Amino acid sequence: MAYLDPGSGSILLQLLIAALLGTLFALRTYWGKIMSFFNKLFSRQKPGEDNE
Amino acid sequence: MSERVRLPASFRDPSGFLFQHADRLYRQINASYAPHYEEFIGSGLYQSLVDDKWIIPHSDVTANWDLPEGAFKIIRPEMIPLISYPFEWSFSQLKDAALTTLRIQKKAMQFGMTLKDSSAYNIQFHRGHPLLIDTLSFEHLAQGKPWIGYRQFCQHFLAPLALMAMRDVRLGMLLRTYIDGIPLDLASALLPLRTRFNFSLQSHIHLHAAAEKRFAGKSVKKNTTMGTYGLAGIIDNLERTIKKLQWEPRGTAWGTYYAMHNYTEKAFEHKKELVKKFFMETKATCVWDLGANTGVFSRIASEGGVPTIAFDMDPGAVEVNYLNTRAKDETYLLPLLIDLTNPTPGLGWANKERTPILDRGKPDAVFALALIHHLAISHNVPLDNLADFFSKLGHWLIVEFIPKEDSQVQKLLAHREDIFDGYTRDHFEKIFGRYFKTRRKETIAGSVRTLYLMEKNAK
Repeated sequence: MAYLDPGSGSILLQLLIAALLGTLFALRTYWGKIMSFFNKLFSRQKPGEDNE
Repeated sequence: MSERVRLPASFRDPSGFLFQHADRLYRQINASYAPHYEEFIGSGLYQSLVDDKWIIPHSDVTANWDLPEGAFKIIRPEMIPLISYPFEWSFSQLKDAALTTLRIQKKAMQFGMTLKDSSAYNIQFHRGHPLLIDTLSFEHLAQGKPWIGYRQFCQHFLAPLALMAMRDVRLGMLLRTYIDGIPLDLASALLPLRTRFNFSLQSHIHLHAAAEKRFAGKSVKKNTTMGTYGLAGIIDNLERTIKKLQWEPRGTAWGTYYAMHNYTEKAFEHKKELVKKFFMETKATCVWDLGANTGVFSRIASEGGVPTIAFDMDPGAVEVNYLNTRAKDETYLLPLLIDLTNPTPGLGWANKERTPILDRGKPDAVFALALIHHLAISHNVPLDNLADFFSKLGHWLIVEFIPKEDSQVQKLLAHREDIFDGYTRDHFEKIFGRYFKTRRKETIAGSVRTLYLMEKNAK
């Protein structure tokens, strides 16, 4: 049903930039989770300390 | 039973087509598109897009029709009062249309589908918001596949917006010549050097253009994929890139656009009062305000719930007008960039794919305020041609005549020979009297200007 010609150059360019932009996007999406993981790890190492 | 008339703009996509029947618009969905359409409805994507006002709502009227061979369904989309084209939009209108396209794509991906095209002509302004009018634009998302609509998106949206923001806002008009968007090699050649140092513009335009040239005619393996996050990454980057593109009308402070008249506040208020009074007499249900500037007078009609189109040829005025409609969430006003001395003609295949602006709607009242002197003097259009033009446009005309004594007209005549002997109030009334009956005539207080309410002569 794809009636447009996506163009060979367009497809190859997408493959090229997708690697970089996809990684960036995944990092951004999971950045919060990664950070909270390390935060938890960090706070577990110092039990009893005030959370100031 | 009257006949089904297929719309001349609806022929590229084999998924279906638009047709007119007894003054209503319908869309036939072909059997070949059935699985995608069922997924579109069944997944809840359609309803979610309707809830966000990102797609035109439709009703399924298949039951009322004898389906022709190859047809799967007939749907009736909500009517859009006036179809407009991307080169008739201001910078922010095109930008909002681009962002809407990307938001729709992101939502489609959440539902396991994708846009199979990204034509700017599939977006229309309806009740103040850009939305998708092509219900058949979705197909099943095959994980990791490159985006079929990518090149079209760059040509229809990114290239013109980048050129408008970074070179000259008038380059948006290239979309009128290039009906499938600005060729990327042309955009690449016209963009300033600094765009080469911007990762996104370098990739989506310059490298993209180079890749098109380098790999033209070469085949790519059908099963190439780009990872789980590839497509999301590209869409996300396009969205960030578009959001960063800015254009501001030069030298504004929006305020300067409002203050561009030479008469006193009192005269301005009186003119508003008169326009309102005359307009109420017309009981018009559709208004075209020609030379609307930022739409101060258009709002006399639109704020009363009358669908109004505000035409102006100045990209800055249309931009300011649109930003105002957006800020105040106005539903009945659509600002458009139209040069009356060269309005949009028929374009595309057989000159019928895109309709001339003057054939796209039928206003019953036309505003021509502080306009006649521009057309008659700056553009040398004879008064007879003007009267003829307005009489073919609408039944009512609210028109302002500004005589030569007025400083605005003096400015137009300052550096040229005054060849306009016929440009007098008497002559104006005589010529327009051939086409219209004057129903009201009043002098705007504190000025030499006259405002008329004219009604078209019966044939």
